[in-house]
Amino acid sequence: MPTIYETIFATLLWAAMTCLVVAVPGIALAYVLARRSFWGKGVLSTITTLPLVLPPTAVGYLLLRLFAIDGLLGERVLGFDLDVLLTWKAVVIACSVMSFPLFVRTARVAFEEVNPRLEDMGRSLGFGDWRAFTSITLPLASRGLIAAALLAFTRALGEFGATVIIAGNIPSQTQTLASALFSAQQSGNESVANRLLLVALLVGFVTVYVTERLTRKSRKAQGGSR
Amino acid sequence: MSKKGYVFDLCLRLPLDRFELNLEYKGSARMLGVFGVSGSGKTTLLECIAGLRKEGRGHLFFSGEVWMKSEERLFLSADKRRIGYVPQDHWLFPHRDVRGNLEIGKQRALDNGIDFEATFQRAVEVLELETLLDRGVDRLSGGERQRVALGRALCSGPQLLLLDEPLASLDGALRRRVLRFLIKVRDTFDLPMVVVSHNPMELQALCSEVLVLEEGRVLEQGIPEEVFRRKRIFDTAKDQGFENVFTGVLTEVDERTVTLEIERGDQAIRLRVPKVEGVVGDSVIASLASDDILIAIGKPEGLSARNCIPAQIEEIEETESRQFAIASIGSSIPSFVVELTQDAIEELSLKPGIDVYLVFKTSSVRV
Repeated sequence: MPTIYETIFATLLWAAMTCLVVAVPGIALAYVLARRSFWGKGVLSTITTLPLVLPPTAVGYLLLRLFAIDGLLGERVLGFDLDVLLTWKAVVIACSVMSFPLFVRTARVAFEEVNPRLEDMGRSLGFGDWRAFTSITLPLASRGLIAAALLAFTRALGEFGATVIIAGNIPSQTQTLASALFSAQQSGNESVANRLLLVALLVGFVTVYVTERLTRKSRKAQGGSR
Repeated sequence: MSKKGYVFDLCLRLPLDRFELNLEYKGSARMLGVFGVSGSGKTTLLECIAGLRKEGRGHLFFSGEVWMKSEERLFLSADKRRIGYVPQDHWLFPHRDVRGNLEIGKQRALDNGIDFEATFQRAVEVLELETLLDRGVDRLSGGERQRVALGRALCSGPQLLLLDEPLASLDGALRRRVLRFLIKVRDTFDLPMVVVSHNPMELQALCSEVLVLEEGRVLEQGIPEEVFRRKRIFDTAKDQGFENVFTGVLTEVDERTVTLEIERGDQAIRLRVPKVEGVVGDSVIASLASDDILIAIGKPEGLSARNCIPAQIEEIEETESRQFAIASIGSSIPSFVVELTQDAIEELSLKPGIDVYLVFKTSSVRV
C-alpha cells in the first residue's frame, strides 16, 4: 500500500501536468473565442463547455471508447498501442479533458477584459499580431490566465468519475486523492478518509482564495486603464 | 526625410451609421488639421489613415508609399505604416510605467535606423517627462497622460504623427499648457502631422492647412485663418463661438503689465495681456473670443479696457442666427472676427470700408 503522502504527491504532480497540457491549446482557443468572430463559433464554444455539464462518467466512457482497442485512437486504427488505459497517462488525459472547459472559460474572460484598443495601439507602434499578443495581451491577461490555471489545477485534484473509468483506482499506479478517499470510505478506513478530506479542503481553499484574489486584482488593473 | 516628401493622396469611401465618409484630399501640408463637430467622421478618418480600419474603399498614398488601394486589394497593415498615433483616450499600457510606455516602440525606431536614445532624450526634454519616468500610468493626470502618449508615439520613430483631439479631454489652463507642448513638438521634430479637432483655435495655432468635415464630406479646405473666417464655417463652429488666434512677441513683462506685440508691416500693435510665464522676446500664441470684442466708431475715452486698436471693417457676415464683422488690423495679420447684434450693426451703420476701433479687456486675451 502506498502511504497517504505518496498518493497526495502523485495527485499534485498529475494536476500540475494537467495545467501544462491544457495551457497552450486552452490559451489559443480562449483568445480565438474572445477576439475573432467566425462561422461555427457558437458550436465550438458549446463543445468546449460540454465536459462541464456532462456526467464525468459519461466523459470517461467516451474516452474509453476513444482509446479502446477498436477506438479512433486505439491500436487497430493507429497500428500501435498508445498504452493509455489504466496508466498514469489516462489520469492526466481524464483530468485535462475535464479541466479544459474551466480553463478556457476563465481565460476567455481574461482576454475579453483586455481592451482591443490597446492591441491596436501596439500595432500602430509597429507590433505585428504575435508581438501585440505577447507584449500586450498576454501580460495584461496574465492574472486571469494564472487564475484559469489554478482552477484547472483544482478541478484536476478533484477529478474522479472520468479518471476512475479510464485509469481505474490502482494503488501506487493510478490512485488519486479522490479515488483514495472513495476507497478509504468504502472500506471503512475512517482515519485515512479524514486525513485525505483535510488535505482536499486545505488545497481547495487555498487555490480558490488565490484565484479570487487574482481575478479581482486583474479587473481593478484593467479598470484603471480606461 | 525631406519636407517635400510629405505628400498625401487620399480618396476614401466608408459607410458609417448615419452617413458615408466620402472624401478626397491631395496635398503636402506638414501640419494638416481636420476640423468638424462630434460625429462628423474625423476619428474614423484618422483610424483609416492609421490602418486600424480595413473596410474603407478607395486609395491612400503617403510619401510615395501605397497604404491602401482597394481596387487591387492592397492594404498595408498598421504595424508597417510607421505612424505615431495618439488617440483621444491615450491608451497607455497599464502594465508598464511611463518609461516602459516610451520604450515600447524602441524596436521599430531601431529597425528604421533611428537613434533611439537621442530621440528618447529629446522627447523627454521637450515634453518635460523626466520626473514622470518611473511613475505608473495610473498615477498620471490628464495632461501628463497626453504628454506620455505623445512621447510614446514620438519615440517609436514615426514618419507621420496622428493626433486625435489632443486637447479635448483637458480643461482651460491645462489645454493651453499642452498646446504649448504640441507647438514645441511641431517645431522640434521634423514630422508631418494630422491633427483632428473640434476646436478652431487649436487648429489655427498648430496647422498650416485645414479640412472641414461635415457628415463625412469635405466642406471647406485651405489655410486655417481663411477657412475659419468663411461664413458657412461659423455655423459649424457656432457652439463654441469663434476665437481669434494670433502670434506675437512679448515686449514687456513685469509685475503689473505684460505687453504683447503683433507685427503689422510698417508698425507694430501692442496689446496688454494677462500675466504669463515667459520673458521678453518669447513668441506666444494668444486668442480672443469674437464676443469679447467691442466696436467703437470713434476713439473711446475714459474706458477701463486696456486694449483699443484701430481697424477697418472688411465685411459683415450673417449666419442664420448671428452676425459677425470682419475687421482688418493690418495687411500681414489675419483679420479679427467680432460678433455683433443686428441692432449694433444698424445703429453704428457698420459697413465694409469704415474705420473703427476694436476694444477689449486685458483679461479677455488668453495667452
